[in-house]
Amino acid sequence: MIENVTDITKDQLLGEVQKMKYDGYRFVTATCIDNGDETLDVYYHFDKDYELKNFKLKLQRNEEISSISKIYLCSVLVENEMSELFGVKVSGMAIDYGGHMLLADDSPDNPMARNQIVIEQKGAK
Amino acid sequence: MSNTVIPFGPQHPVLPEPLHLKLVMQDETVLEAIPAIGYVHRGLEKLTETKEFTQNVFVVERICGICSFMHAQAYCQGIEELMNIQVPDRARYLRVIWAELHRIHSHLLWLGLLADAFGFESLFMQVWRNREKVMDIMEETAGSRVIISANTIGGTRRDISPEMLVKITVIVEEIREDLKQVESVFFNDYTVKHRLVGVGVLTRDVAYELGAVGPMARASGIKTDHRTTGYAAYGELDFEPVVENDGDCYARTVVRLKEVYQSISLIKQAIAKIPAGETSVPVKGFPNGEVISRVEQPRGEVLYYMRGNGTKNLERLRVRTPTFANIPTLLKMLPGSQLADVPVLILTVDPCISCTER
Repeated sequence: MIENVTDITKDQLLGEVQKMKYDGYRFVTATCIDNGDETLDVYYHFDKDYELKNFKLKLQRNEEISSISKIYLCSVLVENEMSELFGVKVSGMAIDYGGHMLLADDSPDNPMARNQIVIEQKGAK
Repeated sequence: MSNTVIPFGPQHPVLPEPLHLKLVMQDETVLEAIPAIGYVHRGLEKLTETKEFTQNVFVVERICGICSFMHAQAYCQGIEELMNIQVPDRARYLRVIWAELHRIHSHLLWLGLLADAFGFESLFMQVWRNREKVMDIMEETAGSRVIISANTIGGTRRDISPEMLVKITVIVEEIREDLKQVESVFFNDYTVKHRLVGVGVLTRDVAYELGAVGPMARASGIKTDHRTTGYAAYGELDFEPVVENDGDCYARTVVRLKEVYQSISLIKQAIAKIPAGETSVPVKGFPNGEVISRVEQPRGEVLYYMRGNGTKNLERLRVRTPTFANIPTLLKMLPGSQLADVPVLILTVDPCISCTER
């Protein structure tokens, strides 16, 4: 149901984003989805004249991606958010809050990620 | 002269919600500003994964009290598109009426806060006196004043009687006449203009590059308003985005004040055209697939991304609120400004932190 979705690799990311800037697109936001199988989907949404153009990036959980904040400064908040809430490793962010934009010292790590939770019952045999 | 770092917020008289800024100052001039949030993060996006998709209407309403109706509207419109649900015409018009009432009370709230911020107490009271009339309409039409829970997937949970529609027309006209009397203070008063004109200028190019939305973008000359795409019943109503070109605090004030008049006009048009009939249709099945839904809130465009997997729970619900898009503009507007202008400048972004942090 989402129109204008293009699958890209992390090596293509900066080139495609730079092209968006050159073509006069506004950066809307990025969306991170934990697929629950150690992979993440990251969508980058751009808008021009109410038409959305979306890039979809599939990542392994520990893969690192480049920040697009050198091209679109306004991406810093969402990149920090993805990094804190999902554990996406983003390198070269223009402002790096060091994991404390939304989370406190005693917050759980990556609370939006679908981590496997093991419940151990005390005294169980 | 060495630089001084001043913490601004998170608790500050001008801010209704917690936002922190680290201001690097040289004398009275701001050299650099770094915003920090995270004081009221609630994890509502995660919560939606544990609730049924029908229950999420009530969760997303609680993202923000000021634009709660439009959060639910964006969510419902997205799910309706995903499930191919045709909303009755009457519900489309009711959504416009309630959404514009929310826009009026949001903008009046902001205009009152602005008046309070630059020390004009009587103006603040005059504006909020009119806001109360809108809140009373909410209570009379939906049973509550702030979170009205009028939206549902497939239409609206409530109808508005013909008598009440007439009453709404009379009340919004009263508000229009009252605002006309205080308008000249916002537009022409020497002191008010002195605090707003030329302060916090955001040029068109910078606003676009930083992804500004809503009144922030429109005050910088960008003609953007998602209502013009025609969702709900907006496609059948006559209006043009309110645009100003100066990009300063004054332009942002003018845009919001004029948008109150625009909302009043939209409400009256919608009431004149609203058809009779049902207000909702039954919903069968579960959402499956991905969808993006966008709505113009008082602070600008909100984006909802939803992914369903054919079960009663959504796999992912992502919300990008307008303040989240507008905060980066502070990185460009604050440097070069005077410390005394910082509170009013931040206020003209109309920051909604509960929206931003979800």
